[in-house]
Amino acid sequence: LKKTLAIVEKLHAEGVIGPYAIGGAVGAAFYLEPVATLDVDIFVLFETAPLILTLAPIYEACATLGYQPQGDAIHIEGWPVQFLPASEPLVAEAVREAVTREADDLTTRVMMAEHLMAIALQTGRAKDHARLVMFVEAGIADNDRLREILARHSLLDDWAKFANRFLTP
Amino acid sequence: VNTDIQQIMQSKDAERRRLRALPWHEKLEMLDRLRDRHLMLRKTHPQELRAVRTVT
Repeated sequence: LKKTLAIVEKLHAEGVIGPYAIGGAVGAAFYLEPVATLDVDIFVLFETAPLILTLAPIYEACATLGYQPQGDAIHIEGWPVQFLPASEPLVAEAVREAVTREADDLTTRVMMAEHLMAIALQTGRAKDHARLVMFVEAGIADNDRLREILARHSLLDDWAKFANRFLTP
Repeated sequence: VNTDIQQIMQSKDAERRRLRALPWHEKLEMLDRLRDRHLMLRKTHPQELRAVRTVT
């Protein structure tokens, strides 16, 4: 996975992709206990949104490096990587405000915990709710920041429903 | 709650806290191992794996 993320960062450094951030289960693992997952979600911000959004340049650059498509992902150093356009306002904000993490020779960018929580709430599948409960139990979120994000993206009602259903003893 | 169950729950919580506190680059290595194990189980025990949850 380190090699995979190093290639993603290389794509960014070479201008193939714009600002990006790791989301999904891999993003959550930066804050929580890791849970088995089979792929990596990379959200990419397109600075100037073209009329028709295309990921073709990413696929072409990856093919040049020897990484081939596998379903709706690209197989990079053993992991299927999904490059997803950060077109929704919440996801775009999450990419813009992502945190840079550096260790050893690896630099990467991951969404903040509060954005991962808000996106999980917005997506709203059972596994998103399960992840959200893990975030709440871990107690790592900045509650003021989370509340601001939820308010900005009209998610306060959804949060109240979630809290009522999953966080009430 | 039965004290045995309470002890199991406490040790599970402690393990979760330990994993949560790992440095992120170590967690990436753990994700590699979890995925490898899942893929291996998919080959060797496909029936049992239906009950195992993965997330995206």
